[in-house]
Amino acid sequence: MKKYWTVFKKSLKSETIYRPAALAGIAGSLLGFFMQVFLWKALLGSGARRDTSFSDMLLFIIINSFMLELTRTNVAGIIENSMIDGTISMELLRPMSYKTFLLMNALGKNTYGTLTRTVPILIISVFLISGTPLPNLYHFILFIMSAFLGILLMFEVTYLAGLSAFWLQRCWFIEFYLMGFERIFGGTMVPIWFYPEWLKKMSFFLPFRYMTFEPINFFLGKTPVEEAWFPILMALFWLMALNVLDKCIWQMAVKRLTVNGG
Amino acid sequence: MKDFFKLFSSFFRVAMRQEMAYRGTYIAGQWICYGSTFLSLYILVSGFEELDGWNGAEVMVLYGLSLMSYAVGASFFFNFSSGLSRRIRSGEFDASLTKPIHPFLHEVFSAGYNVGYVSHFTISLVIIVIALSRLCYTPSPANILLLVLMVLAGSMVQAASLIASSTMSFFTVGNNPVMDFLLWDMKQFTNYPITIFPKGIQFILTFLLPFAFINFYPASALLGKTIPKGYPAVLPWLSPFVGLLVLVLSILLWNWGLSHYKSTGS
Repeated sequence: MKKYWTVFKKSLKSETIYRPAALAGIAGSLLGFFMQVFLWKALLGSGARRDTSFSDMLLFIIINSFMLELTRTNVAGIIENSMIDGTISMELLRPMSYKTFLLMNALGKNTYGTLTRTVPILIISVFLISGTPLPNLYHFILFIMSAFLGILLMFEVTYLAGLSAFWLQRCWFIEFYLMGFERIFGGTMVPIWFYPEWLKKMSFFLPFRYMTFEPINFFLGKTPVEEAWFPILMALFWLMALNVLDKCIWQMAVKRLTVNGG
Repeated sequence: MKDFFKLFSSFFRVAMRQEMAYRGTYIAGQWICYGSTFLSLYILVSGFEELDGWNGAEVMVLYGLSLMSYAVGASFFFNFSSGLSRRIRSGEFDASLTKPIHPFLHEVFSAGYNVGYVSHFTISLVIIVIALSRLCYTPSPANILLLVLMVLAGSMVQAASLIASSTMSFFTVGNNPVMDFLLWDMKQFTNYPITIFPKGIQFILTFLLPFAFINFYPASALLGKTIPKGYPAVLPWLSPFVGLLVLVLSILLWNWGLSHYKSTGS
């Protein structure tokens, strides 16, 4: 366990080197936050509409940016890079599972991103939110659980995409597909509450809504505790299914590994 | 000799096929990525009926113009802009200084045209055509000419922002986060009608960093939408001139940067 903790710390630390990039990231995330606030202000007008109030939306924006930061890293890019420069041959020799190594790497990066980019938003939104925005204890526990599953699920999907680098050598453009699917079926840009029925139904059959959207639903108390089993079980189901799939693909992938130089 | 040609042609075929397979998946990926943005925006605006007086189809035109003008501007200037810093570091840039044409032109020509933006262009074209026909925009020659002119206006602003961002390469090694913030993050404001933002931001986007001329004013001219209160009504129609003006200013800025350039000597 200790060795994985070291990987996590190293990855977190290596992010802190790029100070100017972090500053630009903070400025960019604040700008994005305010832009969404103005957008929803214009859409919702002043009163409540369609059972969503502005303070509900504000909370959605905050938790959404929090969840997006926690699931930001696309390990496909990391796999591709180490395939290109040949470091993968070193990484495979290490006395640890390559997948867990990648997971720890991603967690380190995401933790840093969350700390730098969502904390400023949280501080500012303290002044914008009225009333008590925090969920009750049950919903909060459910939020933590499903957020944890969501982070793993995002990792699992990008890991699977990254394994295609063993065949294609290049896989950075797969990110576009993932981004597109996540936006449509995961409700990362527009909450799924506002979707037309057919699209809403489709989203239940894909893994994307269980990554960031269902945790947000728990936080906002939109999913009753009695119905909580469904999103949690679905996330677990997807995790296990993808896990089995990537094990099979991994078996084939290592046999195909070709490293150009390095 | 015959073997040589056979070998060459087979290598060439493989290379072509690799390139095409890669391009195909790349283009499809871009379509899905931007298609999802269009769809989400459309669901959002049409679900609420309108966004500050713009209906779903009108917002599609607005965002379509932003993407299309980026596709046009970036296909000529993206390689030039993103590669300049690397070319300066490696010393390749110095070769442009010795050529008998102006270094700016040489850089633009030698950086080459970026084919990848064909995906941005095609999807935005499809969306704009569908949205305009929904809005019953008459496809008369005059109207089509106006549309082309407005896309060009936006493209010039996009090109200017790429040229301006590369100017920093003359002063700093590596990328510059302040410039990136001004030119990339600020551009996100063009996804929505600028009238939903506070007055200060409207002023900045119109007069200081004229990103509103990428799509907001052109779309206002095409669709006859209202512009911020108190601004001259002729502003949307000035878009092509503003585009030309900022393009010229950005080239002047680039040349000013060039005059301060000291070779790395490698």
